[in-house]
Amino acid sequence: MKQSKTMEKSQNNIGVLEEHPLGMQPRFKVGDRVQVRDMPYFFYTRSQMWARGVVGTIAALTYSDLVPEDEAFNVDGRVEQYYIVRFRQKDLWPEYPFDNDTVQTESPERWLEPARNSE
Amino acid sequence: MNKAQKYSTDGAEHNHKAAPMVEEITDFEVLEIAVRELAIEHGLFTAEDHRRFTEFAESVGPAGGSRLVAKIWTDPAFKARAMEDPVKACLEIGIDWSKPTGFGTPSDYTHLTILEDTPTLHHVVCCTLCSCYPRPLLGMSPEWYRTTNYRRRLVRWPRQILAEFGLILPPEVEVRVEDSNQKCRFIVLPVRPSGTENWTEEQLAEIVTRDCMIGVALPQPGRTADVHPVHKARRPVHSSHHEEAAR
Repeated sequence: MKQSKTMEKSQNNIGVLEEHPLGMQPRFKVGDRVQVRDMPYFFYTRSQMWARGVVGTIAALTYSDLVPEDEAFNVDGRVEQYYIVRFRQKDLWPEYPFDNDTVQTESPERWLEPARNSE
Repeated sequence: MNKAQKYSTDGAEHNHKAAPMVEEITDFEVLEIAVRELAIEHGLFTAEDHRRFTEFAESVGPAGGSRLVAKIWTDPAFKARAMEDPVKACLEIGIDWSKPTGFGTPSDYTHLTILEDTPTLHHVVCCTLCSCYPRPLLGMSPEWYRTTNYRRRLVRWPRQILAEFGLILPPEVEVRVEDSNQKCRFIVLPVRPSGTENWTEEQLAEIVTRDCMIGVALPQPGRTADVHPVHKARRPVHSSHHEEAAR
C-alpha cells in the first residue's frame, strides 16, 4: 500500500509507529544531538551494532535515498534523509585512551532519534 | 634414479612433497559465480562482456585520486568547487562517476565526500560492513582493506592500526575514523607536506599514493609508492627440491 506523504504518523516495515514520516523535510540539522536507535530488522540492515544506542552529533546531511532495508529486497518507493553522525570514541568505548578521537558513520533517518538526556 | 623416474606421476618412486595448498572461497564468491552464470545463461550479458568489464574495473587504479588531491593543493578555485560538489569536480580531471554503468564506476554509488585533514585532524577510512571504496578515483581496494581484521579493528583501535602501517600520530592530533557504510564514498585530502613548495601538479601527484588517500599514510617528498614491510617466515617450509639443492 502506498503511504501518503502528508500523513501525520507513518508505520515502518516492522509496524512501529514513527514520530516523523519519511519523505518530509529532514528531521535533524547539523549540530543536533542524536541517538542511534536499537530497532530490530529482518535479515539485512546497514546500521552497525557498534553504534546502537550511542549518542552522537549530526556532522552533515548527505542525500535522500531509498530505505536500505527495503532496497535489500528490491522494494522501491520510500526514500529518507541520510546523515553523517560523529561519535566521540570515549562514548563508544569508555576505556578508549585518547580524548579527542572520533568516529563518523552514515545513518538513515529512521535509525536516529533525538538524544535523551542531551547536554 | 634418473630425473624422469623421480618425477614420473605414476610410480611409487614419486616422493616430491608439494607445499600445502589452501584454496579459500567465500559464500559471497560462490553466490557471485552462481548469479553471473545464470545471467550469462539468460543472455543478460555475455561472458566476453563480463571479462571486458572486469578488465576495465581492474585497470582503474589510484592515479585519478592523486590528480584530484594535487589539483586541490595547487588551485584554490578548484578546491572550492571540489569541496562544494566533488563528483562534478572529478569531471575536470577526466573522471566521470556515472560511466560506464550509469550508476558509478564500476557498480558504485555516486556520492563523494572529501575529508580534509588539518595539522590537528587526521582522517582514515574503512567500511565495517563490507569494503565500500571510492573506486572511480582509487580503483579496486587493496586486499588488506577488505579484511575483517582491518575493518573490525580500525573503529576500535585506530591508532594501533595506523602504527602497524608505520604512522604514529601525537595525541593532540584528533584521529577521525570514517566508517563508509552507506552510499557516500570518502577520500582523504592530506595536508600538503612541507618541502613541496613550487612543485608542479605532476610532481605532487606522485607522492599522493593510494594509502595517503585512505588515510593510513602521510604524503612526503621522496615517498612515491606504498611499500609495506615483508617479514620472512621464521620456519619456512622446504620442499624436497630445496633439500636436494642443499646437498
